[in-house]
Amino acid sequence: MPKIIIDGKEIECRDGIPVLQAALEAGWDVPHYCYHPGLSVVASCRLCLMEQKMPHPQTKEMGWAPKLFPSCQTPVKDGMEVRFHSESVENNQKHVMEYYLLNHPLDCPVCDKAGECSLQDYSEKFGNATSRMVEDKHKNPKKDIGPKTLLYQDRCVLCTRCVRFADEIAGTGELAVVERGSRGEIDVFPGEPLANDLQGNVVDLCPVGCLLDKQFLFRQRVWNLQTVPSVSPADSSGACIWIDANDAGVHRVRPRFNERVNEWWISDEQRHGFEYVNREDRLTRPRIRENGQVRGASWEEIPAHLRAAFAGDGSAFVISPMLSNEEAWLLATFARQVAPNAVLACGHVPVEGQDRSFPKGFTIRAEKAPNRGGVERILAHFGGPQMSFDELCGQAADGTLKAVYVYGGYPAAWITPAQAEQLSRLDCLVVHDLFDGPLTERADLVLPAAPWTEREGSFTNCDGLVQAFERARPPRSGIKAEGQFFQELCGLPGLFRSAKIRTMLGESIADLAETFQPRKEPEHAH
Amino acid sequence: MPYEQILMRNVGVKNSQSLKVYQQAGGYASAEKALKMSVEDLVEFVKGGNVRGRGGAGFPAGIKWGFLPKERETTYLCVNADESEPPTFCNRVLMEHDPHMMLEGILIAGYATRTNVAYIYMRGEFTEQFHIVQKAVEQAYEAGYFGTNILGSGYDLECYVHRGAGAYVCGEETGLIESLEGKRGWPRIKPPFPAIAGAFGKPTVVNNVETLAVLPHIIERGLDWWNGLGTANSKGTKMYCISGPVNRPGCYEAPLGISTRELIYGEDFGQGMRDGMKVKACSPGGLSMGFLRGDLFPENPSKGEVDLTSDYDELDCILDFDDVRRYDLLGLGTAAAVVVAEDTDIRRVLTNVCRFYALESCGQCTQCREGTAWMYKIAQRIEAGAGRSFDLDLIEEVTKNMGMMPGMSICGLPDGAAWPIRTLVQKFRAEFEQHLAAQAPNAAAERIIATNPAAYDLPVLQGRALQPSGGTYLVPKD
Amino acid sequence: MAWNVVDRNTAGDLGPGISDAVRQKIRGFFDRYPTRRAVMLPALHITQEALGYVSLQAMRDVAEELEVPPSDVLDVVSFYTHFWTHPRGEKTIMVCRSLSCELLGGRELVEALKEKLGIGEHETTPDGRFSLMTEECLAACDHAPCMMINEKMHKCVRLDQLDQLLDDPDNDRLDMPRSDLYDAPGGEKPDYAALARQHGHHDEPAANAEDDDLGYTSDVGEMKDS
Ligand SMILES: Cc1cc2nc3c(=O)[nH]c(=O)nc-3n(C[C@H](O)[C@H](O)[C@H](O)COP(=O)(O)O)c2cc1C
Ligand code: SF4
Ligand code: SF4
Ligand code: SF4
Ligand code: FES
Ligand code: FES
Repeated sequence: MPKIIIDGKEIECRDGIPVLQAALEAGWDVPHYCYHPGLSVVASCRLCLMEQKMPHPQTKEMGWAPKLFPSCQTPVKDGMEVRFHSESVENNQKHVMEYYLLNHPLDCPVCDKAGECSLQDYSEKFGNATSRMVEDKHKNPKKDIGPKTLLYQDRCVLCTRCVRFADEIAGTGELAVVERGSRGEIDVFPGEPLANDLQGNVVDLCPVGCLLDKQFLFRQRVWNLQTVPSVSPADSSGACIWIDANDAGVHRVRPRFNERVNEWWISDEQRHGFEYVNREDRLTRPRIRENGQVRGASWEEIPAHLRAAFAGDGSAFVISPMLSNEEAWLLATFARQVAPNAVLACGHVPVEGQDRSFPKGFTIRAEKAPNRGGVERILAHFGGPQMSFDELCGQAADGTLKAVYVYGGYPAAWITPAQAEQLSRLDCLVVHDLFDGPLTERADLVLPAAPWTEREGSFTNCDGLVQAFERARPPRSGIKAEGQFFQELCGLPGLFRSAKIRTMLGESIADLAETFQPRKEPEHAH
Repeated sequence: MPYEQILMRNVGVKNSQSLKVYQQAGGYASAEKALKMSVEDLVEFVKGGNVRGRGGAGFPAGIKWGFLPKERETTYLCVNADESEPPTFCNRVLMEHDPHMMLEGILIAGYATRTNVAYIYMRGEFTEQFHIVQKAVEQAYEAGYFGTNILGSGYDLECYVHRGAGAYVCGEETGLIESLEGKRGWPRIKPPFPAIAGAFGKPTVVNNVETLAVLPHIIERGLDWWNGLGTANSKGTKMYCISGPVNRPGCYEAPLGISTRELIYGEDFGQGMRDGMKVKACSPGGLSMGFLRGDLFPENPSKGEVDLTSDYDELDCILDFDDVRRYDLLGLGTAAAVVVAEDTDIRRVLTNVCRFYALESCGQCTQCREGTAWMYKIAQRIEAGAGRSFDLDLIEEVTKNMGMMPGMSICGLPDGAAWPIRTLVQKFRAEFEQHLAAQAPNAAAERIIATNPAAYDLPVLQGRALQPSGGTYLVPKD
Repeated sequence: MAWNVVDRNTAGDLGPGISDAVRQKIRGFFDRYPTRRAVMLPALHITQEALGYVSLQAMRDVAEELEVPPSDVLDVVSFYTHFWTHPRGEKTIMVCRSLSCELLGGRELVEALKEKLGIGEHETTPDGRFSLMTEECLAACDHAPCMMINEKMHKCVRLDQLDQLLDDPDNDRLDMPRSDLYDAPGGEKPDYAALARQHGHHDEPAANAEDDDLGYTSDVGEMKDS
């Protein structure tokens, strides 16, 4: 690990990174626009400049070089000395910030980025709030550049991050710079909109409010949002995300850095696929069918009911890959408590096409569930009678099985009518799911599920990586979150805490005990 | 004393473009000689001649070639025929009248750099010249100067003409390379330098047309001859250009080291100003190098000393690589002088210069993109008779905060913008102030309100925008 | 002011594409460069010769030949001042606006041409004969003021010669052996008069041209409204 001196303070940093990255990781706030660790370095915004000590050309004595250097383009070298707090560096920052404001519309009151905009932040911290230009600003149009994205050209700082993203990460190259000089603009070819499956990332990348996500457009002011770290359930990759939510629901999903999985990016599916958690028609009350009549039930009466129904032979539990490791473990534990010979089955695993890899390695997984790996690992641990979900449906139809507990939790309708039909011949069908569907109609007991945003726990991704996610919202009124419910079924006292359960689980399944913590990256959108 | 015309020996000769005429004057003999030398000897030989690049930067050619990595498979030679620096036209004259001289230079440089493909990057505005050079290349291929096993030496060189399409910045060597690769001409960050990873990611040498054209002559006449011409650090012969309202605008060859005054007034050069006018200003090295005060200003009483702070005649500036710096010029540049006569409004010159850089900045670097455009807007307002004294300070401040020298840009264009604009504003401040004083008293305020009412509405700017001379609140250094 | 939101999801009229002969000619350049992309500028020159301008469809065709996304071609076309993205006239007059020419009457020359032709920069006369543009130093400063009509350079242009110059049918022809390397194959030429009729000549100025007169009309601005 090289040691470098920044502003007179020695820090240790990773090898092979630019000084800018080292400074940001060590807590310096260095303004920068064009640099992004996931993209090639262009060193064009010239905002990150620093002073560097160099040997004098003649005397070889070390001293501050008379010119500034782009810290994003200068790799760290053991023993180097640089500084950001100096008159010439700050003078440059002031000027550049003024330049950015020359033609900027400053329509922050109607700008989605306001509150997390680096132009606002930098102007306040490094620049002046005013520009001395008295000429008219030139105005650029707004462009509808794709089905999911808008481009407000006049807010652009021409950092070309978005263009590089489309070229290098998505590999589709829809975005281009057109024109030159101060008239430069970002654009797509007419009729060739920005529509690749990673395109949403350009909105996060954009340091200003130029690229905007139509899903989030005018939806919330960012300072009214609470941000929680989570893991995307949209596929089996285990991409790390931030969830931005408030009392009105979940509003936005953004990538969270993870060097082992998604780096700085997420797919559009992971980004935009959360709307189901806000749906009005989610199940919110347990329902029970008694003597052919359906009535609302209270959570308190359900454990006894389940114990009675599942105690005999021929009972089975379907453990969905949408459940966390902890929940799956609790449910399996309960199953073996009530019926030691109960069949355990991993739930339906939705698959779409093939895994798709992008140039720099980002992969969209075909498997659209977050935790098949974890559920299978847990089932393997429990042993005993097990079968696939298809087999289970068959045995339900031929009468081998009498009582089945099906946990769904999928964002959309998932069961085939044939399977629903097969399961309807049981003596007792318990369905624990998010939405009404063919199965809930036939169920004897319906339990409302909570989506992942309202739960906490850990998922095991397709490569066996275990990662924790936190709860972004409380469960919708009327719902008892899975963890709490299963814990009560198992007879464990107290409030559900995923970390506590993880420790218990880890005593028997060591590889699920530890969650992976990605390296902490500085906020690069800023 | 008329100087010997070496590079321009064929100018005016009938059919000078043809291979036959060139060969009759001993053409391609130097290349033959060079191909018999070892590559190392040839590079050392050229290093000995200190052939400083004629493209503007003045970097010695032999040393540049020496930066190529020892182990390499493919090397490219790019001939910089993008001549876009106003008001420079020496490469045009060379290519128009003696294309084979350049081609012979390409062959020599190609051999010295072990290049197998050379591209002549020629600006799109060169049409006639394109046809001439293309024809010459075809002739050279036929005569066996390009192609495989050239002159039985076993050396292969392909030579292609590549036409640009209108962008000054494509003359910058890495902008040229990007443009050659079929991209927008956005200069690249260095390192890596082109000698390590240039065109198509391979080691590349970029040389100016004139730099290459002198090579045959050095080989023919030897180093002593070359080093005997010119001044201490500036060796050899150079094609000077002079344009503007002089009696005989044109391109004239002389050893490095003539003075600006000689270029304007000399019998062999510009032959003085039209109608006996006085020189107000002169940009002697191409637009980007900055302006000198002309003989409209009084002579400097202390001969030999340069006093930048007073308005003295500066035409004694010697046009070589060193003396120009004493006069606060960026460098020798292309040694192409443009003269501004006494009757020209300096505000118009400022607008023209500002426009050039505003429209030619490629737009990558913030300081260059925004700074040049802003200064152009200000210059237009000043020319329209609505300037403020503060605007001149502002322009000066902007020019001091852009460019490669302070580390604030990727390429040298903004340095080239800063110098002429700053020297204009500084050296001719008195005239600007006179114009400002002659303006209608409220002209600036009215124009500002008319073009940008918002500027006045913004509470932070209220009043301030209207002050005829506001203080800078970003205190410039020094 | 009203904002225009430009729809990029659909393209509208893409204009003419390039012919097979043009494609063949472009392919002829592939051997000269190690990458296909490097053929970009030659390809665009040839395309513009053949079509009179570089239409959106032509950009797509060139992109296909060079195996790059069409946006990359748009990027290049818009960067260089020589490429027109809307039809131009048979003869494009390119007047030098740099310092030497300005000092000797370049500005007045542009104004005179604008008045005589009745068009502004980047516009075309209704009969499709002339288009006008300005360009930085043409490297003929010793003959200032100068201008080019297509390939031919006119030096030391005097205002009183303008009429004669414009009327001369050969005012754009080079009197010398030409290389057809960058020409359209088989002398392919568009019907300029028809193009001018079809597209009108006094196009709306670029989206923001009225906001600040940088003294120069952006050509790609045209597309913003298309
Ligand atoms: C903005 C800019 C424009 C330039 N334009 C030209 C040009 O038109 N012709 C040229 O030969 N060099 C030009 N140069 C200089 C080149 O970058 C480079 O130094 C030169 O081609 C090297 O050749 P030489 O060593 O033979 O001089 C330009 C440089 C800059 C920064
Ligand atoms: S991009 Fe930033 S500074 Fe610009 S309007 Fe939006 S929030 Fe304000
Ligand atoms: S749109 Fe945003 S990301 Fe793209 S160049 Fe502009 S400011 Fe940068
Ligand atoms: S300095 Fe100016 S011309 Fe050079 S790369 Fe930067 S923006 Fe482009
Ligand atoms: S120049 Fe370093 S971040 Fe842009
Ligand atoms: S200034 Fe007009 S040709 Fe050079």
